[in-house]
Amino acid sequence: MNAIDASEHHERVDESVPPSLLAIVLDTNPHAWAHLSSTLPLATALANILVFINAHLASGNANSVAVIASHSNKSCFLYPTPAPSSPRPQPNATNGDVDMNGTTETTSYSVQDNPNKYRPFANVETAILNNFAKLMEGTKESHLEATPTTLIGGALSLALSFIAKATLLHSPSTSNSDEAMLAIADPEAIHTSYVSLASRILIVSVSGDLANQYIPVMNSIFAAQRKRIPIDILKLAGDTVLLQQASDATGGVYMKPERPEGLLQYLMMAFLPDPTARKSLVMPSAGGVDFRAACFCHRKVVDIGYVCSVCLSIFCSHDLPDNLCLTCGSYLSLRAAQSNPPALIPRKKKKKKRAGADSATPGGSTPAGSNTPMHA
Amino acid sequence: MSEAAAQYKKKDGKIIVSSDGLTVSWKANSDDLRVDVEIAAITNLQQTPATSAKASIKIVVQHPDQTENHTFTFTSAAARDDQQTITGVLRKCIEDAKTRSAAAAAIPAAATPTPTPVLDNVGASGAMTMAHTLVGAPKEKEDPFDDAKLLRDTALQQSLLNSNVALRERFDLALRDKPDTITLAQFSNQFWATRVPLLRSHAVQKSQGAGTYNVLSVVKPVLEQGVQTLNMSKEQIQLIFAQHPLVKRVYNENVPPMSERDFWSRFFHSRLVKKLKGERINDNIDPTDPKLDKYLDFNEAADAAPQLLVPSVPLFLDVEGNEQNHSQRLGNRPDHTMRLGSHEKVPILRTLNQMSEKMMAQVPPSDGADRHGPAGMDEETYKQVQLHDLERTADDNRVVLNIQDQSQFFSAGQGVHTSSSAATYAKRTPIQVLSVMQQQFQHISASQAQTGGINLQLAMGTEEESSSDEEESQANKKSKVGSRSSRRGATSQIVNTIKQRQRLGEEFLSSTPEQSRQLALQMGISGPVYDSLFITHNTTVEFLHYFWAVFYSGDAERANEVAKLMETLGKSLDRIKAVADTAEAERAAQIQATVKSNEEYTQRTGRKRRFDANNIKGGKNVVNHLMQPLTRAIGKAKHEYETALQAQMRQSKTETLNPV
Repeated sequence: MNAIDASEHHERVDESVPPSLLAIVLDTNPHAWAHLSSTLPLATALANILVFINAHLASGNANSVAVIASHSNKSCFLYPTPAPSSPRPQPNATNGDVDMNGTTETTSYSVQDNPNKYRPFANVETAILNNFAKLMEGTKESHLEATPTTLIGGALSLALSFIAKATLLHSPSTSNSDEAMLAIADPEAIHTSYVSLASRILIVSVSGDLANQYIPVMNSIFAAQRKRIPIDILKLAGDTVLLQQASDATGGVYMKPERPEGLLQYLMMAFLPDPTARKSLVMPSAGGVDFRAACFCHRKVVDIGYVCSVCLSIFCSHDLPDNLCLTCGSYLSLRAAQSNPPALIPRKKKKKKRAGADSATPGGSTPAGSNTPMHA
Repeated sequence: MSEAAAQYKKKDGKIIVSSDGLTVSWKANSDDLRVDVEIAAITNLQQTPATSAKASIKIVVQHPDQTENHTFTFTSAAARDDQQTITGVLRKCIEDAKTRSAAAAAIPAAATPTPTPVLDNVGASGAMTMAHTLVGAPKEKEDPFDDAKLLRDTALQQSLLNSNVALRERFDLALRDKPDTITLAQFSNQFWATRVPLLRSHAVQKSQGAGTYNVLSVVKPVLEQGVQTLNMSKEQIQLIFAQHPLVKRVYNENVPPMSERDFWSRFFHSRLVKKLKGERINDNIDPTDPKLDKYLDFNEAADAAPQLLVPSVPLFLDVEGNEQNHSQRLGNRPDHTMRLGSHEKVPILRTLNQMSEKMMAQVPPSDGADRHGPAGMDEETYKQVQLHDLERTADDNRVVLNIQDQSQFFSAGQGVHTSSSAATYAKRTPIQVLSVMQQQFQHISASQAQTGGINLQLAMGTEEESSSDEEESQANKKSKVGSRSSRRGATSQIVNTIKQRQRLGEEFLSSTPEQSRQLALQMGISGPVYDSLFITHNTTVEFLHYFWAVFYSGDAERANEVAKLMETLGKSLDRIKAVADTAEAERAAQIQATVKSNEEYTQRTGRKRRFDANNIKGGKNVVNHLMQPLTRAIGKAKHEYETALQAQMRQSKTETLNPV
């Protein structure tokens, strides 16, 4: 065809590195941070993270960032400042006019013209600090009493939805027919194929007990896996079960610092490369991954569990009330799934001698003869 | 009706199952002693297992007033086969009788319920074994790749071992190291039980054979030193006869006068072979052969006809076929390349198609269609053909999932005190926690208010200027955030994990034994040490398999076996240790050699070389590191075993103290 109509179609492929979006989920569980206050105070950690964010923004003109706080009672955006639900003439928070949001509040700070600070950095910084202050103010004693952990599932969902939105905004999808029409109308036009946004999520986690949110977190992990969004984990404190799986499944970096005081070093060395750069790097990652799942009935992390054949719920014991699955209510008898109790003391010799009939039929076919125990 | 030579009460005779399946009788050869048993009255049928010397069956009959049993021993040369056939027939008859009586019992209530006959395999001693085979269970169509069957087939296992070197090694080694209490049969059963899929694939592989091929195109006269020679195997000749009945006929009619050799060499140069191959006959070049040429006009269709298989597609479904099946356009006549007898046009296509057809006719149909069913109507086609639109809508058989609110499982009862970090969190009350947080945050925000944005460098706490002297004094007190030592610690951790990851990547890429050997060499493990590690690992894994199988069998009879296996696993640990010691010795020797060469160097040149023993890799630590997962697995097995054993000891003690 090209040879006939003699007009060449130019497809300009952008060779430049795609911009990258970094979504940071900051676990702000007050319990855990208070516990860490002697080694790594939250304020210092926040400052370290701000430096890291600046480094990220500085490494690419189009790079962007989102920071989400995963608190005890809610998950919310620290940056960009969420637009209030009431319609406003200028709901755009990214232009730095954050001071308009909270002029009446005493704790908020406006972006001042500091000649020594790059303005975009100052914008991000101010927004994060303001929103964080608001978050801390809103934290009540009762919230802390209610739970020892953080709402990581919600925060992950927020991060994923933000990334999805940003990806759409970044490369508006035009339908193929439109492009074809354009090509006919103006064959000389240069078509730009959009470079997709490279996104990643970094979870700075300090809380344990995440098994409570096994299902929402697992769902988020699968969503991230599908969208090829690596989830990086910086685990400053707490047990590791669930998040290690998140990084492993999505190809992210998992770090449990031996020296949390060197936070900035960890952030810079292990987490700064964006997904594009990672293709040509060997990323740090711990060897063994704890793949165990949490059971649905007692939130225990199980080595061997029982799985409902209908809804795939995981249970830690074979004693289900009425042999019904707790989640979906279907009949689920796990009697057959349990293995025989080992008998280790030889029975008293019987008088009748057994004529070697045993040797003809030794052993069951599979160990434990169980149908659904799951090795997690 | 089936019969077999059998002894009854030491007398030779014949056991006969009547053709109507109602009675089984035995008749003596010499006198007219006779035993008749009504099949419906049989309650138990037992046979000696395949391992015993004698092949006999025992029939237990329940009469209203008494129970009698008859034992028949098969005497013919193929006694085992007789036993199998007779039991098979009897089993079937018993089944039939049972269903009949069940049907009969359903109508008049008066009929006495027949006891369910039970089939047992009886040990040579005559004691009952545990294995019961219910006669009532419908006998499935025999699966040639059934697990149990595969496990019994020692010939197959042997052939698999012979074809798979790695497996053979593993088998032999595990066999060598197995505890003596475990018999060969038990061991091999266990070994194969975990490898049934391997057996199955091997069985399938073995059952595959090459099909027939177009012989005429393969056999070619070869010109060797000016002499035409023809190399044909006996099979090829047979195949030619099978594929070309015409050649067979020609051969039959001509070979007595001609010699066989002469016949074939003439045949392969004749016009006839060209015709059979489908090549064009060129009247000018091709030599004529007065004897063979007369068969050129012979119509092959005459004897080919019965082989033709017309694929039967149900025509009322085959819309295109229906359109084509138009009487005025000659209907569904085969394509001209498929028709017999059209000699002139494209003979090669026609011949090849015909050839394929013949070959396909010999291949058993893979779909196993029932040839006696209605044409093209197997069960599946029938279901397809059914006009589903006219049927009533089927019941919705979806399983409705009623997912209950999962939050009840997860958030309920989650308080500060149930947390895994409860102890650490409990040190502070929520109020204290809040105040700590607020206080910390004041730091950062206060500075922000004054200077227009926080001073990040201050807030971060990194001290760039701190000298190493201060550093040390600090380390004694408390490591500060961002201090040099903590940064260094972080760097080394990250670099370590990067190295680890890189090695993992290499291991992942190199899955062949040779490459992993190279990797081992890099880690300072010599070839022989690596080999013995490899073997130890293999056998230990095998025993772990066995251990868990027996451990969870719950069979007290096998308790001794478990104990022995535990010992064997202990020995495996010793073996690992021995390997580690060898590696350590190797490393020591290497260190010594280096030290010696360094000394020589010093003597020669008067200069000292730096030497660090840590630079010599390998040794005990590396071996232990490599075997760590295995050691852990053995530890786990040991732990489980000991806990269970102790619990049971205690229990048995209490039982003996307080007899029930």
